[in-house]
Amino acid sequence: MSSLPEGPNESKLEQISRILIDDSSRVPVSLWFASSVFWLLMGSLAAMISSVKLHHPDFLGNIEWLTFGRIRPVHLDIVFFGWSSMAAVGCLLWLQARLCHVKLPWPLMLSGMAMVWNVGVCVGVMAVLAGHGSSIEYLEFPAYCAPFFAIPALAVLAANVKMYLTKESQHTYVSQWYLLAATVWLPILYVTAMFCTYFGLVQGVSQAITNWWFGHNALGLWVTPVAVATAYYLIPKVTGKPVHSYHLSLLGFWTLAIFYNWAGTHHLTGGPLPAWTITVGVVGSMMMFIPVITVAINHHMTMRGVFHMLKTSPTLRFTVFGSVMYTVASFQGSLEALRSHQEITHFTQFTIGHAHIGLYGFFSMIMFGAMYYIFPRITNNEWSSARLIKVHFWGSSIGVLAYGIGLCWAGWWQGLMMNDPSIPFLQTVAYIRPYLLMRSVSGAGMTIAHIAFAISVWRILSRHHFVMSGPTLFTTTRPAWREFVNEQEKREQAELEAQ
Amino acid sequence: MNRTPFIIFGVFLTIAFSLSGLVLIPNWQFQEHQPVINPRDGSQYPAPYFGMALQGRDVYVDQGCLYCHTQQVRPKGYGGDIRRNWGNRRTVARDYMYEYPILLGTMRTGPDLANIGARQPSRDWHYLHLYNPQITSAGSIMPRFQYLFRTIKAGELAPSGAIALPPAFQSEGTHIVPTARGEQLVEYLRAQNRTFPLPEAKQ
Amino acid sequence: MFLISMLIWATALLGAVMTVWALAWAVKRGEFRNLRQGAASIFDAGEPIGRQTDFFPGAKR
Repeated sequence: MSSLPEGPNESKLEQISRILIDDSSRVPVSLWFASSVFWLLMGSLAAMISSVKLHHPDFLGNIEWLTFGRIRPVHLDIVFFGWSSMAAVGCLLWLQARLCHVKLPWPLMLSGMAMVWNVGVCVGVMAVLAGHGSSIEYLEFPAYCAPFFAIPALAVLAANVKMYLTKESQHTYVSQWYLLAATVWLPILYVTAMFCTYFGLVQGVSQAITNWWFGHNALGLWVTPVAVATAYYLIPKVTGKPVHSYHLSLLGFWTLAIFYNWAGTHHLTGGPLPAWTITVGVVGSMMMFIPVITVAINHHMTMRGVFHMLKTSPTLRFTVFGSVMYTVASFQGSLEALRSHQEITHFTQFTIGHAHIGLYGFFSMIMFGAMYYIFPRITNNEWSSARLIKVHFWGSSIGVLAYGIGLCWAGWWQGLMMNDPSIPFLQTVAYIRPYLLMRSVSGAGMTIAHIAFAISVWRILSRHHFVMSGPTLFTTTRPAWREFVNEQEKREQAELEAQ
Repeated sequence: MNRTPFIIFGVFLTIAFSLSGLVLIPNWQFQEHQPVINPRDGSQYPAPYFGMALQGRDVYVDQGCLYCHTQQVRPKGYGGDIRRNWGNRRTVARDYMYEYPILLGTMRTGPDLANIGARQPSRDWHYLHLYNPQITSAGSIMPRFQYLFRTIKAGELAPSGAIALPPAFQSEGTHIVPTARGEQLVEYLRAQNRTFPLPEAKQ
Repeated sequence: MFLISMLIWATALLGAVMTVWALAWAVKRGEFRNLRQGAASIFDAGEPIGRQTDFFPGAKR
């Protein structure tokens, strides 16, 4: 076994421990991540088809299984269940293992759960394309798909709790709270919503409220906490600067937990609901300013003085972009929830613009940043090409900005026109058509970025480009590395038996 | 001391709270809804779908019409729904008491359909529109639903039930006839009528 | 309707009381002392405060 050079001030024990922890999560995290990137590509394809059909409705026309009313929900469900959720699971498993300083438990089971989840998405997508979708947004997959998501969600919760209970460290890092909470909320949300919907437990308009209680909370209590937790870890970790104000972060967590839960009914403003349900949604949405501002202060102030690192760190670029978009999307969302704003933008392209600024500009960009940090550390490999990374970054960032600004602008005027009965409805359609085309163009940019990313991921996973010179890696050969890891494990085992 | 159980309990409380408030309480509130009997003809409003309209509802769902169309009329003075003639009153919770699944929708890429049956009662209009939206609505971005129709070769006479396409869209020697699904969908659309005056909808 | 509004006010009040109690409990338990240590907990001797830990591939460190 070749000797391991030490970095400055390096304690061998800590470095070994970090390596063993990362190595323990290698297979499950790679599986969840690789699956998510596959679905990212599929979701981009479904997105492009949907987008082009909007401005050229005869595109792939008359093919029933590709009709807009099926391919559009397929896009949404792929990016939510396939891309976002699987990326979130991979990220939270790696992060919680690191923060709890424990090896990832049950790696075989968690890897199996990734495949179960994949089957669920495949079956669900085929069902919707075949016409068995429910037309309930975010819950289009038929009821028989539910176990494919509920069981892995509970397994991930169990692993998370196990790690949390066995951690030795007395100090909980703020990210751990968000990650634990997210894994508690997800199964409750999903199982409750599926039960209420498919067993007819809620009648009439209550179905709509349940739908959007689920839909909005799936964003705010599942993917958002995972991304916020990730940024709370990555920004300090990459820059070497501790989080700006730790006690603010605790306030941010609990206010998010309390207020985000109630914001969902803003999807139904002006609808046939009792006024109090909408008011409660508006209040919850406005109160979200508190956690969003605390997170913004923490993330952005931590970056003070180190903005030059954006030039040299891929992870930081994506993560900081995402963190800024979190502030932007949330401020926009809180204002959008107000009745006066909704009067104009409800039912328009503005909603779509906002949704993408949030789920793509904020969540997905942070997940990209996380993957750029995590993949080298679990594969013991290096990214093959800085250029591919840059193509990914610029394609995604410019794409989502053009997308968001374009559709929000279009949606605003579309809404104003729709509220003016002297303007024929078809004129609102004619008005948005060029913006729909622009959306396809920005979407193409994002798709190219995703292809670049997928190529990078393929290469790093397939050991296509094997260079070990990354910051947390040793300068040694791969066989010697595997030998070293095995030897360390034997040593630990012997120590345990000796006790 | 490990704070895990405390955090999990707190987190669980936050969601139990919103679940009770948003899902359970309104659902309980709506239990008291009863349909109204129209004194003039004894008919019930609202009434559950049945027959072809019920099957048509399934076609509406499997085609995903909801992703471009809504089925809700906003109150007078909020937006322009009533002034646009999309309804004579706002829609209220009782209008949807028999809807399962409820298809309120969230996008108006196309117009609202809550009262399309009252606005466009003509079957022929719907067949033309579904076959090729450009016929009735030039410039529309709605896709064609030609697979909801069958093309049959023309004999001497046009069979009954054939759609009379305008000359520009009619091919030589063929006739267009709706399939069963096409007929069902149109019956569902014609059943969309929420104009009955409900007392709670008065403004 | 009155019942609903009473329910809402009662739960909001209960929620506020519980929040204040939880905060007081946390302060008494010393949760808010030594928070700096929490922020520093993600660093160690190998990846200390002040060192950048992520770079473009092939870039000079």
